[in-house]
Amino acid sequence: MTAITRMWDKIGFNQKLAPYVFVSPFFILFLIFGLYPIGYSFFMSLFDMRLVGNRGFVGLANYTRLFTVDEFFGTAVINTVILLFTGSLLQHVFAIPMAIIVNSPRVIGRHTFKALFFAPFITSTVATVIIFGMVFDHNFGLLNWIIENVLGMEGIRWTARSGPIKATISILLNWRFIGFNMVIYLAGLQGIPRELYEAAAIDGAGTVQQHRMITLPLLIPIIFFGVSLSLIGGFQLFDEPFVLLGGYDTVGGPGQGGLTIAYYLMILGFKNGRLGRGAAIAWVLFFIILIVTTVNRLITNRLQKK
Amino acid sequence: MKSVVTAHKENRMKRGFTFGIGMVLALVLIISSCGSPRGAAEPTLEFDPDQTYNLTMGTFGDLEAAYSVVLRSDHFRSRFPNINVTFQSADFGGHHDRLTTQIAAGERTNDIEALEVAFIALFVEQGDALLDLNQPPFNAPSHIADLVDFAVAQGQTRAGEQVAIPVDIAPAVLFFRENLAREAGANFRDLGSWEEFIRESRKVTGNGRFAVPNASDVALIPLAGGKGGWLDAAGNALEPRGKFMESLNLVAAVRDAGIDADLNAWSGPWIESFANGTVVSIPNGAWWGGALRTWVAPDVTDWRVTYLPGRAMSSLGGTYLSIPASVPAENRAAAWEVIKYLTTTAEAQLLTFDTIDAFPALTTTYDDPVMSEPIPYFGNEPVRQIFADVALNMPSQIVSEYDRTIESIWGSIIGQVIEGDLTPEQAYDLALRQVRSQID
Repeated sequence: MTAITRMWDKIGFNQKLAPYVFVSPFFILFLIFGLYPIGYSFFMSLFDMRLVGNRGFVGLANYTRLFTVDEFFGTAVINTVILLFTGSLLQHVFAIPMAIIVNSPRVIGRHTFKALFFAPFITSTVATVIIFGMVFDHNFGLLNWIIENVLGMEGIRWTARSGPIKATISILLNWRFIGFNMVIYLAGLQGIPRELYEAAAIDGAGTVQQHRMITLPLLIPIIFFGVSLSLIGGFQLFDEPFVLLGGYDTVGGPGQGGLTIAYYLMILGFKNGRLGRGAAIAWVLFFIILIVTTVNRLITNRLQKK
Repeated sequence: MKSVVTAHKENRMKRGFTFGIGMVLALVLIISSCGSPRGAAEPTLEFDPDQTYNLTMGTFGDLEAAYSVVLRSDHFRSRFPNINVTFQSADFGGHHDRLTTQIAAGERTNDIEALEVAFIALFVEQGDALLDLNQPPFNAPSHIADLVDFAVAQGQTRAGEQVAIPVDIAPAVLFFRENLAREAGANFRDLGSWEEFIRESRKVTGNGRFAVPNASDVALIPLAGGKGGWLDAAGNALEPRGKFMESLNLVAAVRDAGIDADLNAWSGPWIESFANGTVVSIPNGAWWGGALRTWVAPDVTDWRVTYLPGRAMSSLGGTYLSIPASVPAENRAAAWEVIKYLTTTAEAQLLTFDTIDAFPALTTTYDDPVMSEPIPYFGNEPVRQIFADVALNMPSQIVSEYDRTIESIWGSIIGQVIEGDLTPEQAYDLALRQVRSQID
């Protein structure tokens, strides 16, 4: 028996409790900074909680209001779903081929490409959006200059109209996150045994056929992971439209073109001072993400079984 | 079939999980019900001239630059040698975000907080976050009679509580470039109406030159600046309809006339347009004169100031001082002395004006010789008399906690009218629907 064990015995420390004591710092912090805020946000969503003070219990009124009276929540959901497809999920269509190309030993300077493609992801969101705001400026932006002077077409009012606002945000999201997804797929590709491709080649399979029959099926767990991240990130989209459209000055820009669910949550909570309604949106958002990621899980499970 | 041991373990896990969830909910309820005392009910102690007070003041923009000069002046030190003030400054957004967070969390704020008017009602109508200065020992009405009426009204809630005192205001005028207008045969002085403004603007527009930077620049003028007035006395939103339709029609008319440069406010090209001759005029608050003179277009010699078309009375900005409810009782009286000094003494108001061009809210300063001085930058014209006249004739507006919300909805709507996506009538109907959906 060591001296420390004897000391513990002396002060009556129960050895069965020891593991719990040792892991307790994490759980205590998680309880305070994780579970408590989650529980409190649900509590808030059932009350007319204002910026200053609580006006009393309202039951599910904060939730029902979103689907009945509120003029913006429906728009925010539609915008978020559109941006989810055009901004968050579209990335994967580009990221997988890019990962395959960069993974090929025949590509010269592939490590440089990896770094270049990944760079937008580690660039500050605010800095990125400000630069995009300049590029997409309808009067003086580089993009409209190219459209007007090189392509001979009429310039687009990128940040002034509802449709082009969504296009701008989608382009920005794709630019930022394609490289990140590419790196995830690259990691997946490196786990696929090279012998499979060699065997397929001997059997006469071409490059496209090899990737269709070997790469994609074996990448499904990685695709599930990448798509899940994009779904969660896409539904929580906030920074890019918020900075691009001037924060709280407008409700998501002209025609609410850039109003997302998370953006509206922030407007309700911190601009309008309706913390209860903001918390209700947070819980609705949670359930939407839960359902969508579950569906994603079911689809990928089915694909894997095939 | 599950073994007895496995079933027992599962039951224990389930019980543990249920217990854990129960504990979290209990914790949430206990902590939520405790709440931090806000201190509003604490009795305010009288000001003691023999006690030393160390106060803090939250400011934004260049307010600290002015107030630190004022509070270091011999005049203030001779009156209040026992009050020391330190500042916590940030940019406009950062200051209000910090204050919003502190108030929402029930945290202690600075003893004195500067505020933009739109935040006043938000903080007060949602839960008495600012002290009512009408109450003893402050008795604001007996001290602020000489402050400009419309600004005093904007510092009041719909319930009549005086929760903030105006320290500077921004009467709106039309800034225009006289030489460029004259070259084009146009005249922007004392225009009788917005129709006249558009007519004169057409004369100056062409060859890369425009009358105003953006059609949205005129949107808030018919609404007297949009700092309040979004609800009528009965609490109806966007009434009277005519006032709001005038705003929408004016914006549409300016865009249709092609007299705006379609520049985004505060972008590089927008700022340059005031120096390089791209724009010839802009309606803005008095503070804009200081910006033009000091950094936007210091080398341009023909900027002039005149009344807004039709002598529209409007205010585009202004600062208020308040005492949050979380301030300890022993500091409140001294904080009130500082606020009174900054807002109601001519020395402080004129020194602030001299330091940062913040136009005084104290009407007795309008008779000071400094208000009649010719201003070299504006062609040696006594433009401050125009500012004072607008300030004295500004209509009072009702402020409400919804002002910020409605202003941002209006901003979106104006954008759609400018783009031609909505007619003014459609825009009004949509705005009304959206505003109503946000009001309880």
